[in-house]
Amino acid sequence: MNENIAYRIYKEPKLQASSLIVGWNDDAGNLGDRVIKYLNEKLGCEEFGEIEPVEFFPLGGVSVEDDVAHFPESKFYSCPKKNLVLFKSNAPRAEWHKFLNTILNVAEQYCHTTEVYTIGGMVALSAHTSTRELFAISNSPKMKIILGQYNLNNDMDYVTPPEQRPTISSFLLWVARNRALIGASLWVPLPFYLLATEDPAACKRVVEFFDTRFNLGIDLSDLDIAVKKQNEKIASMRFSFPEIDKYIRNLESNVALSQEESEKLVKEIEEYLKRIE
Amino acid sequence: MGIRLHKEPDLVKPVMIASWPGIGNIGIIAVDTLRTTMEAEEFGEIEPWDFFYPKRVLIKKGELKELEFPYSKFYFKKALGKDLLFFVGEEQPSDGGRAYAEGRKAYQIANLVLDVAQKFGCRRIYTSGAAVAPIHHAVKSKVWAVPNAEHLISEVKNYPNTILMSDIESREGQGNITGLNGLLLGIAGRRGIEAICVMGEIPIYLQGLPIPYPKASRVVLEVLSAALGIRIEIEKLNGFIDHSEKEIERLYDKFPPEIKEQLDKLKHVSYSKPTEPGPITEDDKKRILEDIDKLFRKETKED
Repeated sequence: MNENIAYRIYKEPKLQASSLIVGWNDDAGNLGDRVIKYLNEKLGCEEFGEIEPVEFFPLGGVSVEDDVAHFPESKFYSCPKKNLVLFKSNAPRAEWHKFLNTILNVAEQYCHTTEVYTIGGMVALSAHTSTRELFAISNSPKMKIILGQYNLNNDMDYVTPPEQRPTISSFLLWVARNRALIGASLWVPLPFYLLATEDPAACKRVVEFFDTRFNLGIDLSDLDIAVKKQNEKIASMRFSFPEIDKYIRNLESNVALSQEESEKLVKEIEEYLKRIE
Repeated sequence: MGIRLHKEPDLVKPVMIASWPGIGNIGIIAVDTLRTTMEAEEFGEIEPWDFFYPKRVLIKKGELKELEFPYSKFYFKKALGKDLLFFVGEEQPSDGGRAYAEGRKAYQIANLVLDVAQKFGCRRIYTSGAAVAPIHHAVKSKVWAVPNAEHLISEVKNYPNTILMSDIESREGQGNITGLNGLLLGIAGRRGIEAICVMGEIPIYLQGLPIPYPKASRVVLEVLSAALGIRIEIEKLNGFIDHSEKEIERLYDKFPPEIKEQLDKLKHVSYSKPTEPGPITEDDKKRILEDIDKLFRKETKED
């Protein structure tokens, strides 16, 4: 392997003026991971390359999650029919700037990418019955104008709080801007008690945006069914466990839960949804 | 990856004083106090993005306006015959979440700092950090000094309130300076530049706490004042020191009585040679230091 090239391309995709969508494996509620997997499956994308992990991840062993060994992955997929590039990866742990530039090097050099999107989940103290709002952060006035045509909130103000750091998506947007690539990060607030399971409603909200933006023609009925099923499961739980019902009713009425109540809600929902799967 | 200089000051054989954050932020407080007291002017920086993860994002009306990185800045002060260069790093570059820089990134950033030092004909570099020691916070800290060349030892011995590694019992002149405050010394030596690291002592029981220890920064400044032959308005630190003392006392009061009883003995023990004769015998002293060592289960270290 050439030491200066941090990636491998298996097959050069045939794309022109493509759009790149980036999802991170370990973001809140695994939203990025789920959206990329969903798009991959629905659009029949093909894996065409990957970033080598050696400079970007600690490789002193492997992590084990849910009894399975995991190795960091950073893979590119192409969908020539829709002129899309998907990238799904663990967030790098070192050499962030080089990693983000490597993503864009591949996208620009092999896919002639002209715009970049990232996906992320935000933890929200709201109930699962609330509407999932889509927030967008642009890296240029041009992208802000493009996003203005869609049903989303692109007017957000934010400053990183003390003791916290910006997200890797913000870093990617900044790197893209420095390369004159327009981009946006998309964010959906996820009910905090669904972070460990899944939130098909949030996934649907993001996919809907891409479906409209790129005329993908995806049939979203399977996501509608998944949302309905999950709502039914939680409704059934609320019926059987009045305490859980009370907590969720409080959230629906914008009444904050105590830490103890929040922890209990997370634990009970997680266990219940896993048990009846 | 590089250096951006906004200005090229005309300096005559300047001395560079450099520091990065470390235990108790002793070095960085000392160097920053000196820099601001001298009203040194910023003239350059190291481009941060290859070394650091960003620290702050500013989004206004849905648009990313700024991504701010930890800074690594150069400053200068022209003073007749005593030109000074300052380097202040807001963070040590770190791969994989370690507190101190090591490996390739550390080597790269240290070399960039030295590139600037050499460009301006720098003749001497001082770095500053902390020396974790079995002392009590009520006792005045000493300064441990480590030069990067043997011929500097005699000079260092004349600095006030300063000890060498060989003055510390059981060390036999050996030790380790973790992170960039130490690494810069070694790389400067490779380039033939004289360098000395001055480290203010911090009590062993305060090393893991996320609070500054400006009392040790003051003794570092006293040493730098003597070494550079300049008067430094150390009084500027007094308010900060008073505040920190109160905070430490508050924490100390929360220690279990049996631990406090052990630690209080450090008021009467000196671990450095030669030991002053006093109410504590050599055997007592040895036992107390061993007990304290067991209590913290960590070896004394420096940064």
